[in-house]
Amino acid sequence: MGTPRRTPTLARVTLLLIAVLVSACTASSTPSSPSQSSATGSVTLTDDAGREVTLAGPAQRIVSLAPSNTEIVCALDACDRLVGVTDFDNFPTEVVDLPKVVVQTQVDLERLVAAEPDLVLAAGNELTPSSVIERIEDLGVPVLVLYPESLDEVYTDIELVGDAIDRRAEANELVDGLRVRVAAVEDAVAGVSAPLTLYEVFHAEGTTYTAGEGSFLASLLALAGAEPVTGDAEGVMGAEELAAADPELILLGTASYDSALADPAAALDAVRARPGWGELTAVRDGNVVPYLADIVTTRPGPRIVDGLEALARAIHPDRFD
Amino acid sequence: MRAAAAARPITLGPSIGRSTAVLGGGALLLVAVALVSVAVGTTGVGAADAGAIVLHRLLGIGSPTWPAASETIIWELRLPRVVGGMLVGAGLACAGTVFQALLRNPMADPYVIGTAAGASLGAVAALLVPGLLPIVGVGWLGLGVVQVFAFVGGVVAVTVVFAVARGQGGTPVVTLLLAGYAISSLLSAGVALLMFVSGDRLAAVVMWLLGSLGGASWPRLAFAAPLIVGSFVLILLRWRRLNALLLGEEQAGHLGVDVEREKRILTGLAALATSAGVAISGTIGFVGLVVPHLLRFAFGPDHRLLLPASMVYGAALLVLADLGARVAGGIPVGIVTALLGAPFFLWLLRRSLGPRLAP
Repeated sequence: MGTPRRTPTLARVTLLLIAVLVSACTASSTPSSPSQSSATGSVTLTDDAGREVTLAGPAQRIVSLAPSNTEIVCALDACDRLVGVTDFDNFPTEVVDLPKVVVQTQVDLERLVAAEPDLVLAAGNELTPSSVIERIEDLGVPVLVLYPESLDEVYTDIELVGDAIDRRAEANELVDGLRVRVAAVEDAVAGVSAPLTLYEVFHAEGTTYTAGEGSFLASLLALAGAEPVTGDAEGVMGAEELAAADPELILLGTASYDSALADPAAALDAVRARPGWGELTAVRDGNVVPYLADIVTTRPGPRIVDGLEALARAIHPDRFD
Repeated sequence: MRAAAAARPITLGPSIGRSTAVLGGGALLLVAVALVSVAVGTTGVGAADAGAIVLHRLLGIGSPTWPAASETIIWELRLPRVVGGMLVGAGLACAGTVFQALLRNPMADPYVIGTAAGASLGAVAALLVPGLLPIVGVGWLGLGVVQVFAFVGGVVAVTVVFAVARGQGGTPVVTLLLAGYAISSLLSAGVALLMFVSGDRLAAVVMWLLGSLGGASWPRLAFAAPLIVGSFVLILLRWRRLNALLLGEEQAGHLGVDVEREKRILTGLAALATSAGVAISGTIGFVGLVVPHLLRFAFGPDHRLLLPASMVYGAALLVLADLGARVAGGIPVGIVTALLGAPFFLWLLRRSLGPRLAP
């Protein structure tokens, strides 16, 4: 989640916080086991919130309430079935001109209804508020909640969407391809010594938000051959905790949104000026990397594997020559 | 209190003709604003379809020539929102009028003695405490847990404030205000603490605190409408006593008003109306502070006129502000009320010497 576009500060901070904390929660993901009714063509699915959802048939008019959901639909070659997306959607480019039913993180129910969807793909864990999900269902539109918290759950969600739009074969093919690429990353970093790595998702007033303990992002960092500095489950770290953790490598995900941090030398100067940061091993050794692939690394769609690859390259450049 | 003012017969209100003009004008304004609001939205469902759909659903006139989606947009989305705006705006303005008279304080608004902080803490707790979330949607009188907690939180906070402020000789206004301030601060600290630990639910919390009519639905309105309308009727019946209270508690006592009893009853009614409104919409600021002042500027302080006028004009103002909020891309209506209301109010303040509270 996140975009280089300017948004008002409150929404921006909120979104950044969401981006950090997306993976820190407890919603359970249940593998989908669709039950087809051959008589009516209807299909019953179980979504990531554990809800059973019955569709009258393969969805033809889809509203996506999260960019990651949009990317899944398009990766299954069904972009043309999307009738509404969010104002954060920027990939693939053909979705940019679709009607926006989520504006500044708020679902515009009127536009959603006007899009006449037969399926809404919501985001879990209150990213789409549960009150809004109820409201949409009350209006007679089935809602699938997607909230992947690991690579396996991304695969499951791709398959779930595949079942919902009758593209299961394409979904299986896509997932197989992703698994191969993940295995390649694992091979490339096998046996490396994992540097203690801070991934900065957001920083303000001496508080750093990083990959939370047990979060999706932390698991990606580990896969990419790093030992993540995690802080608590929410990934919140004060300056003292950070000094105590003393990372050897700092990836500035914030550089994806702040052009002042995009240049490595400028970024190093900027973080050195923060109270206490000058003494960190990573800063003293100059191991501060502006990381420009935050969007794909924190957006749990098919491109998450692009993010994993980018992480591995940033952490172990010597393994990817 | 000026002697001349006290000498003026307070039961002699504005003339029938003037009252009719003020309230009739307000009602016309409200109807006009409501019609425009139902006809305008973020999609192209226009006035003709909107009118036809409302007539069809209300009176069974005509047969559908419009897409089913248009009917949903008008009947399930725009109309509840407009009616919700009327209810909340009316409730807040009326409650603000009561609190300003009761506390004889121009800074008083419906939230002054704890309703907003209590409702906020209730709502935020319901949004964040994981054990409560699963029952959201199970509903209680068609409401979500968030709405129920907001309502209960507001009412409980006022009750606590009143209990704290109550001494042997009654409940002094200053003590009531200070206790309200202290309890509000305490509850706000609770809200801030919950926000700090809210993690990825922060967005939902912020949206609630900013105030929005986006969640207005018929079941929610069915809960709030009787509370707001009922409170209003009971408040209106006490207009004479409110007028007397404007003269000061001692004078009101001399005029035969049981001041302590009226304080309890009026506070309770205003808190009920406020909490019911907040449960629909979150904490929308400024309407409850500004509308009573505007109307006093314009029409004078007699509550026989002021109370119904505050309902009508408060409703019109909030529906209008919500129209602006919707058209401007769905920004929370609480931002619009303050953004437009504050400069207008300042302009009025500069034009006169200050807000008139007493006759």
